[in-house]
Amino acid sequence: MNTATTRPAPPVSELLMRGLFDENPVFRLALSLCPAVAVTTTVNNGLMLGVAVFVVQILSSVSASLIRHIIIPKIRVPIFVIIIAIWVSVMDMVLAAFYPMVYAQVGLYVKLIVAFAIIISRMELFAMKHPVMPSFWDGFGMGLGFLVAMLLTGAFRELLGSGSLFGYALVDFRPLLLVVLPAGGFFTIGLIMALFNWVDVKRGISVKDNYKGCHG
Amino acid sequence: MTAPHATVDTAPPSLREMVRITVGLTVVCLLASIILGGFFLWTEPAKARNIAAREELLIRQLLGLPESATIREVRRYLLWRGPELEAFYLGDRRLLQLDASGDLIATAEVPAEIADSPGDGAKDAWVRERAAVDEDQEVRYVGRFFAGYDGERNAGYVIEGATIGFKTWIRFFLAVDADYGLRGIEVTEHEEDPGLGAEITEPYFKHQYSGRSFDDIAAIEVTKDPLPGEWRTALEALDGSDLDRWLQQHADLVAAHPDIHAITGATISSVAVTKGVKRALRNFRKRMDFVEAHL
Repeated sequence: MNTATTRPAPPVSELLMRGLFDENPVFRLALSLCPAVAVTTTVNNGLMLGVAVFVVQILSSVSASLIRHIIIPKIRVPIFVIIIAIWVSVMDMVLAAFYPMVYAQVGLYVKLIVAFAIIISRMELFAMKHPVMPSFWDGFGMGLGFLVAMLLTGAFRELLGSGSLFGYALVDFRPLLLVVLPAGGFFTIGLIMALFNWVDVKRGISVKDNYKGCHG
Repeated sequence: MTAPHATVDTAPPSLREMVRITVGLTVVCLLASIILGGFFLWTEPAKARNIAAREELLIRQLLGLPESATIREVRRYLLWRGPELEAFYLGDRRLLQLDASGDLIATAEVPAEIADSPGDGAKDAWVRERAAVDEDQEVRYVGRFFAGYDGERNAGYVIEGATIGFKTWIRFFLAVDADYGLRGIEVTEHEEDPGLGAEITEPYFKHQYSGRSFDDIAAIEVTKDPLPGEWRTALEALDGSDLDRWLQQHADLVAAHPDIHAITGATISSVAVTKGVKRALRNFRKRMDFVEAHL
């Protein structure tokens, strides 16, 4: 297992584009769908979980990159889990202490971030092979991609399911209860995935080339 | 030993490598605990303040206290001194020491820095010190209640109680007026099942206890009859409105429903809460008979 820098890191703009579109954690890689579906019944909840994942992703990627030369390859996975657990616990304590109102709503989900596949996969695939700054931007892009995905899904579901955005009533019609239920969450994510594919076709990229498959 | 994947190196690690792995993991865990410990020390006071603030808000709501009212906490401790049981009551002015029959043994003035100290640690340590226990004896914190004062007028009490629910403890606050009538209950902590036992926090269940006298609560029972629609509407209307006005408007309905209607599919949780409320209120009155004059 070669842990040293093997190839030059891509430029920042490409790292950001990757996280947002080309390898968007939710819409392209289909990672962490369960918590994503559970939380995104409103924009606000989606936003808060998105921010929490964003921060944990950056901190974990940077930490893994910092110690990548001294990690014993055989035990890198337990060490990744410990690193993620540290930052998730720190988030948990800081939120509980300084943002109790937010914590009351997302406290349960923040603890779940430990098991988010997207975070550990970025540490394994990117942070272990690149210096700190590119790892920071990779974490930044992926975290931002997840955050945007949470916002889009949450906005769609809250608008159709409750007729409001950020809790403010916008449209007056009988809400589609299905959209707020878990099944509706999967439908929403599927629809946005289709939109991503459509954009790719318009940009002249074959969907097949870009499609990386489902990682569970 | 089986090798499920041919590509994986299945050779057992050498002694040297095992030592490296053990040391590596130990160092990582040590670093992790240092970081977490640091953050804990930094955030814990703020967290304790948040919890205290939330409790105070809840107590004010339950008792309907105005802004100017003050809340005093009274903590209760038990100690087995040989075969003798002693009880301690720590108020914000005095510490009372009682024997098992409720007779006062001693009182002590509480220093201001103990009464005003944030969190519980300093208070518990002070009581332990005052009780002057031998090493094998333990002063055990067993519960607390709050007294609300509007000026010098007693505006009622809030008792913290607990009862065994379907799986684990259900913790609740009881708001009690100066005549030991129950103003309302609020479940503060529970792990009942969503959609079943968790309904104990819903207005239609918890408000069934509101506005009952001490004797009403002593006689209250749980019935499995379905909750009548009219009664349910009235109970849900109480949420967020004034209890005294609500009692005037719905006096006949309250009188017509002297028992608690169990939550459908969660009789155990309903009975648990009812038993807990009855026990907490009965014990509180018994204790107050001993200590009220001295606190």
